[in-house]
Amino acid sequence: MAQLTTIGQLPLNQPPVHHYTAYRPRPFKREEREKVTILYGGLTWKHERLVQGAMHNMKYNAEPLPNIARDDLDAGKELIDVGACCPTIFTTGSLVNFLKKEVAASSKEEVANKYVFLTAGACGPCRFGQYHESYSMALDGLGLRDFRMFLLAQDELDQGPSGGGGLEINLPLSLGLIWGILFGDLLTDLEYMTRPYEVNPGQTDKVLQASVEYLYGVFRERPDHGAKYGTLAWHLLTNYFTRALREVRKMWDAIEVDRVRVKAKVKITGEFWLQTHEGERNYNIKRWLEQEDAEVVAPPVAVWLHYLLHPTIRKLEHRHSTSKHPRIEEALLHALERIYRWTYNRFRNALAGLPNELPDQEELRELAEPFYHFELRGGEGHMLIGKALHAYHHKKAHMICELSPYSCMPNTMSIGSMANVIGKYPDLLYAPIEVKGDSEVHALSRCQMILTEAKRRAQDQFDEVLKKTGLSAEKIRKYEERHPEVRRATYKVPHRGYSGTAANYVIHLAEDRGLARA
Amino acid sequence: MPFPTLRTWFEKKPSVEPPRKDRSHLRVGIAKVLNVWSTHQFWVGFLKELGISSENIVFSSDTSEEQGREFGKGRGTVDCCYPVKCISGHYGELVFGQKRNINILLSPMIHSLPSILHGHVVDTVTCTRVMAGPESIKAGFLKESDIFAENKILYASPFVSLGDRHMVTQQLFTSLKNIFDLDMEETARAVKAGFDALDNFTAKARQQSRDILTWCAENGKPCILVLARPYHMDPGIGHEIEGELQAHGYPILWLQYLPGDDDLVNWLFEEDVKTGRIKSPFDISDVWTSSYSSNTNEIMWGAKFATRCPWITCVVRLSSYECGMDQPTYTPAQKIVEATGTLYFKFGDLDSTKPGGGIKIRVETIVHYLSKYSAEIIQRKLNCLSPDCPLVGARRSDPAVST
Repeated sequence: MAQLTTIGQLPLNQPPVHHYTAYRPRPFKREEREKVTILYGGLTWKHERLVQGAMHNMKYNAEPLPNIARDDLDAGKELIDVGACCPTIFTTGSLVNFLKKEVAASSKEEVANKYVFLTAGACGPCRFGQYHESYSMALDGLGLRDFRMFLLAQDELDQGPSGGGGLEINLPLSLGLIWGILFGDLLTDLEYMTRPYEVNPGQTDKVLQASVEYLYGVFRERPDHGAKYGTLAWHLLTNYFTRALREVRKMWDAIEVDRVRVKAKVKITGEFWLQTHEGERNYNIKRWLEQEDAEVVAPPVAVWLHYLLHPTIRKLEHRHSTSKHPRIEEALLHALERIYRWTYNRFRNALAGLPNELPDQEELRELAEPFYHFELRGGEGHMLIGKALHAYHHKKAHMICELSPYSCMPNTMSIGSMANVIGKYPDLLYAPIEVKGDSEVHALSRCQMILTEAKRRAQDQFDEVLKKTGLSAEKIRKYEERHPEVRRATYKVPHRGYSGTAANYVIHLAEDRGLARA
Repeated sequence: MPFPTLRTWFEKKPSVEPPRKDRSHLRVGIAKVLNVWSTHQFWVGFLKELGISSENIVFSSDTSEEQGREFGKGRGTVDCCYPVKCISGHYGELVFGQKRNINILLSPMIHSLPSILHGHVVDTVTCTRVMAGPESIKAGFLKESDIFAENKILYASPFVSLGDRHMVTQQLFTSLKNIFDLDMEETARAVKAGFDALDNFTAKARQQSRDILTWCAENGKPCILVLARPYHMDPGIGHEIEGELQAHGYPILWLQYLPGDDDLVNWLFEEDVKTGRIKSPFDISDVWTSSYSSNTNEIMWGAKFATRCPWITCVVRLSSYECGMDQPTYTPAQKIVEATGTLYFKFGDLDSTKPGGGIKIRVETIVHYLSKYSAEIIQRKLNCLSPDCPLVGARRSDPAVST
C-alpha cells in the first residue's frame, strides 16, 4: 500500500514530490491483543481449526478466513495487477471479500482496528514470497490502508515480538502451530483412506468432525511449559498428544469399511497451496475423484515442512552464513530432522500406524536428480518429480494427479521435466492439471482420461491377486463375518507390493492371516 | 576445502607448473538465452582460460520465430513464458544448425547473479523459471531418445551461484570436471578469469552509461531508461523497441548498466539517506521489501534511479507474457517512476511475434511526449536535488534544456 513521503526543497510554485513507499503495517500492540482478531488461511478446515486451538491456547483471538469460493477469483482479479497466478488471485480475493463484508457490517475504521491478517512469508524466487504485494495492493483498492498484515517466516520458530508486540512468534506458539498442522495431516490421511470404503455413507465425515473438535480442545488446553527449552522438551516427550490420538483412534474404530471395493489409488501432488486445498479453488478434485471410484492419497503439509528442514536442501540457504561453527550447525540440523521424523512416526503409531509414512527426502532427491536438480528452489522444487517416481517405484498409487496453478513458475518447469520422466517410464500414469479457477470441465475431463486407465489397472491387479491366492469375494466375506476386526477402519492392511488397497487386502488375508490355506 | 592426506603432504612438489591440457580441439556451444545475456563475459573468460579459443566458443543466434520453427519444433515440453520457451530453438540450432559441430552444449542453471545491489538486499537469486529452464528444455531433447548423444554432444548444465563468488569454483568443478577433464586449481584460475572479464565488461558498460548521462547533462538533453530483464536485449524477445526510440535521437540506457559511482548515487539519493528513508543509495527497502530476486531488485532500483535522475525523462518498461516475477512489480514500478512526473510507458505481454504496427504507433506517442515535456521534467527534477551535480556541475539555474 503506498504511503507518501515528501522530500526535496522546492520552489513555491512547484508541487512537492511524493515518493512511492511500500506498505508497512502500523504496530499491533500488546495491549490490543484482547480486542484484535488474527485472520489466517490457506490450509484445510481441519488444519485451520487445530491451528485455531493452538492460537486460542496462547490467548489470541484467531479466526480462519472462510473457505475459498469461486467469487474470490473475481474479487481478486479486480484489485491486483494482471497476470497473477491463481493462488495469488484466490487468496487476495478471499481476504477482499471477507473485509468487504465486514466493512459493510461496521466501518472501515472498525475493521482496520478489529482484525490483523497473518500470512506466510517465503524467501526465494517464487512469487509466493511476494503475495503480500498483491494483498497490499488490494487493501489500497479497498481504501483500507490502515489494515494490518504481518508475515510469518517459515524457517524461524522463534521470531520474537514483531510489529509492536501484539503478535509474538515464540516457541510455544510455533510448536503449537506445527503440531496442529501435523495432526491435521494425520487426520486427513485417515479420512482419505477410509471414506472410499465406508459401509455407512457419511460416517467418516461425522467421525472426522468429532475428531477435529476433540483435538481442537486438546490444543486449546495445552499446558504451559515455559517459553524456550522446557516447552520444546515437553512437546517432544509428552504423552499428552499421543494419548489424545489414541482417543481419536477409538472414534475411528467405529467405522466399518469394505476394502474389497476396487479403487484406483490417485496420489495428489502439485503446487503447495493448490494440492493442500479442499474446495472450489481446485475444483473439489479430491471429492470428485472419490465419486469417480478413486482413493485419494492426499499430500501432507508435513512433507513440505520436512523439505524445508532437510539439511541437503538447506545448505544453499546458509551460503551467506557467518557462523563460526558451521559443522555443529549442520549436525544440529541433521539431529532436528531425525527428531522431526521420529515425532511424526510417534503420532502415526498412536493411530495404529495408519497414516502414511513421510518419504525419505534423500531418496526423493536421488530419484529426481537425473531430471531436476535438487538445488533448484521455488515451489516444491525437485519434490514433484521425486514424489511421482517414489509412488511409481514403491507402488504407492496407480496414478499421479499434479495440480498446477495457471502461470505457476516453478510448477511449469517440473511439468516440463516430467516429459523426460514419462519418456523413461512410459507406464507411469501422470495427469498434470492446470487450474485456472474457471475451467473446471476441461480440467476434470483431462483427469478422467488418465483415471480410466488407472481404474483398469486397479481391477487387473485385483483380479490377478484373486487368481494368485485362489480366493473369491464370497470366501472373503465369510472370513470377515468370523473376524469383524478386519472391517474396522483402524485395521492396518500392510503394503504387500500392490498399488491398490483391495489387492493388498486380499493378499494380506490370504498370506498373513492364512485364508488361502483355510 | 580438500582435506590434506598423507599423499598430498608428502607428495613431491612439482618444480614447474604442469603443462596445460590441450582443449583446443573442443568446440563449445552456449545457448544465448536468459541471464547469459548479462553473464556471457564470465563464460567466455572461463572457457578461454581453460584453453578453448574464441572461434570455438559458439553462441546461438538471437531468438527468432524462424529459429524456433526450424530447430525447436516438437521439442517443447511445457507452455510458459517465451524467454524460457524459446530455448528449445537455441538448443536445436546448436545441435543441428552448425557448419562445424559442437562437442559440448553449455547451458548453465544460474542460481544467483552478481549485482550492484549485493549486500543491500536480502538476496540476488534468479527467477525460478529462468533457473530451472535448462532442465525443462533438455527434457524435449531426451524424452524419446538422447538427441545430444546421437549427435556426439555432451550436454553440460552446471548449477552455479554467480552472485556468491566463493561457491562458484566448487560448483563448476563438481559439475564440469568430467566434461572438460578439470582439476580444482585450473577451475579456480578459470573462474577468476571469468569474473575478471565480467567485471571489466560491466565497468566499461557502466562508464558508457555515465558518459551518456554526462552528455545529456552538458547539453540539457533527455534520455530514456529501459526497465527490463537482461534477455530483453535479445532482439527476438525485446523486439528492438529501444532501437526504434533511439532512431528518434534519444540516447538509451539499460538499467543493468546504470552507473553506480558514489558521487552520482550520493547526489541522487542524498535527501533519502539524510531523512532516514533508506540506509544507502542502493537500499530499496523503502519500495520493495521482498528483495530476493536479483533482476526484480534491480528493476526497482532502476525505477528509483530514473525517477530522481533529471535527464532520464522517460522510462520504457518491457515485460514478457506470463512473467511471474514482473507481475507484482507493475504498479509499484510505475508509481515509483511517475512520482516526479517522469514519463512511464509499458510494453507488456511481449511474446514471439513482434507487434510491429503497435510498436510504431506507441513509439510515435512516446516521442511526442518526450519532445513536449522533457524540458519541464528535467527542470523539475533538478529542483529537487542539490546544486552540486557531479556529472558536469549542472545547476538548477542552468538555462537551456532542449529537446
